[in-house]
Amino acid sequence: MNKWLVLFRKEWLEMVRNYKVIWLPLVFVVFGLLQPITLYYLPDILKNAGNMPEGTVIKIATPSSGEVLCETLSQFNQMGILVIVLAFMGIVAAERRSGMMKMILVKPVTYTSYILSKWVSALLLTFVSLSLGMLAAWYYTILLIGSFPFVDLAQGTGIYFIWISFLLTFTLFLSSRLKSSGLIAALALLLGIVLSLVTPLLEKWMKWSPAQLTGAASSLLTEGAAQGNVLLPLTITILLTALFLYLAVREP
Amino acid sequence: MKMMEVTALSKSFDTVNAVNNLSFSLKEGRCTALLGPNGAGKTTTLEMLAGLLVPTKGTILFMGSNQADYREHIGYLPQQPVFFSWMNAVEYLVFMGELSGMAKATAASRADELLELVGMADAKKRRIGGYSGGMKQRLGIAQAMIHEPKLLILDEPVSALDPVGRRDMLEMMKRLKGHMTILFSTHILHDAEEVCDDVMMIHKGELAVAGSLPELRRNYLENIIIISAEESLDTWARTLERWTVITEVRVRNNTLELFVSDLDKARSQLLAEITEKKIPISSFTVGSTTLEDLFMKVVGK
Amino acid sequence: MGFSSINWALVAPLIGIELILMIIAVVDLSKTTTQTNGPKWMWVLISLFFSIIGPILYFTIGRKHT
Ligand SMILES: Nc1ncnc2c1ncn2[C@@H]1O[C@H](COP(=O)(O)OP(=O)(O)OP(=O)(O)O)[C@@H](O)[C@H]1O
Ligand SMILES: [Mg+2]
Repeated sequence: MNKWLVLFRKEWLEMVRNYKVIWLPLVFVVFGLLQPITLYYLPDILKNAGNMPEGTVIKIATPSSGEVLCETLSQFNQMGILVIVLAFMGIVAAERRSGMMKMILVKPVTYTSYILSKWVSALLLTFVSLSLGMLAAWYYTILLIGSFPFVDLAQGTGIYFIWISFLLTFTLFLSSRLKSSGLIAALALLLGIVLSLVTPLLEKWMKWSPAQLTGAASSLLTEGAAQGNVLLPLTITILLTALFLYLAVREP
Repeated sequence: MKMMEVTALSKSFDTVNAVNNLSFSLKEGRCTALLGPNGAGKTTTLEMLAGLLVPTKGTILFMGSNQADYREHIGYLPQQPVFFSWMNAVEYLVFMGELSGMAKATAASRADELLELVGMADAKKRRIGGYSGGMKQRLGIAQAMIHEPKLLILDEPVSALDPVGRRDMLEMMKRLKGHMTILFSTHILHDAEEVCDDVMMIHKGELAVAGSLPELRRNYLENIIIISAEESLDTWARTLERWTVITEVRVRNNTLELFVSDLDKARSQLLAEITEKKIPISSFTVGSTTLEDLFMKVVGK
Repeated sequence: MGFSSINWALVAPLIGIELILMIIAVVDLSKTTTQTNGPKWMWVLISLFFSIIGPILYFTIGRKHT
């Protein structure tokens, strides 16, 4: 535990020194702010951008608060995942490549606490970034569109965070096995994309799919209640996350 | 007392047998040099001893036990040490010290001490990313010693250093010798002879020669008489080959190298013959082969 | 309703964050110990001219780890 803390502090210091603790949350905040603003100004933007004939009436229903937040989440599901995978693809692989891993593991520390220190710090920073992004989106949505209950926001974000944690853990697992950061990122993104695409297509067969959680989070935001069976994908996702974490802490 | 006892240690990577059936022991408080040409298996051996590689076969007993994780008692300097470029020397040493189980304050004061010892006190607050190769090597030694290990394992500690740095490092190893057991690999014989008590030579993963320096000198080094002359000595050399005191004759231009079994006898007989036959010699040197010669013989060149 | 009616107080934080990201990237690039994949000047240009995306690209794939 003591050694774990030392390693954890090192991870954190590294993320401070390479500015990850600043830029990762800021990126999420930007995307969080961008969505309510663009949706709010969309009619103006369209009017100014297109060569519309005089007198064209643009009718776009102003979206509800829930819809704006749901849009934000789907934005996070593309840009957010991309950024997180790229930010953490080298988390183990880079130290293995450079030989730093040997410098550390020759000291009396276990491989498990070495990997866990990385997992927890990556998870924590991801959680902070996602939460700040959603809070920013929530604040602007209230300002521009209308109020939205915090409890729903927290629940939706929470469920969505489980899905992100799953992808993050998979990235960490790949990073602990593969050397090439590019390959790690490609495989992690592939899993995210395939699950996200296939799940709605094969609705019937994919009720267990972790990607169901994004749908559940969206319906929580738009309708105030999750659609369908959330418990099944939630359990499966947590089990898969645990499995990949277990595989990651086993020395290759 | 034996600090470490290694029995039948082997390691193979796919098809390569990097280390093959290696057995030896390290005695407490002594400095042992592990010698071998490139690819002999030095790094592989040291990594197994440091717990970084799992042996394919064989056992390693540390202080008589083969169960416990003994990493806290060893310090290890890899062949190419690496660091976090975003840390400074003190931060790095404290981090390594804490990983070794030291309290932060203890590690910090020990770090200062060590940086003084390796001559880096004035650069200790600078980011490691800006260090030169020699500075990194010194910092590498310091991190290996941070927790005052019982056994210090150094993989080619001087090969990356300039002559001054090398001198410093060897002096430091001499000073450390009394306090801890040292095992270091090198392919520079001169260094080994200078600082070590014991020598192990490995070749193609197998132990070729091992023993203390005096033992090796006694058992392996041969007496040799070198005679130079102003004319070719070929014909005379052929007659010498039949002498019982001479084990081997090598002729190079106008120089003879004679390996002899009994130095005194050979010397007087040779001198008598030289006077008798009026051989126009220009020099007559008595000496012995060096460890370098032994090494070359082991390596088969 | 035109662009003049845009509430700049709302957009200001967005621009502020973009600037912060850009500044951090350039400050990091200006340090001599920082190592990059590809030439540094290229990353400076990318960070300056592509708002948000530029700095993100630099931090994720431009910067060399450890
Ligand atoms: N990870 C590995 N995978 C495959 N082969 C390896 C690996 N590590 C070492 N070897 C092989 O094992 C043999 C011994 O290598 P080792 O690094 O131990 O030699 P060395 O004595 O340290 O040489 P040098 O003086 O060049 O450092 C070499 O033939 C090498 O190719
Ligand atoms: Mg080596």
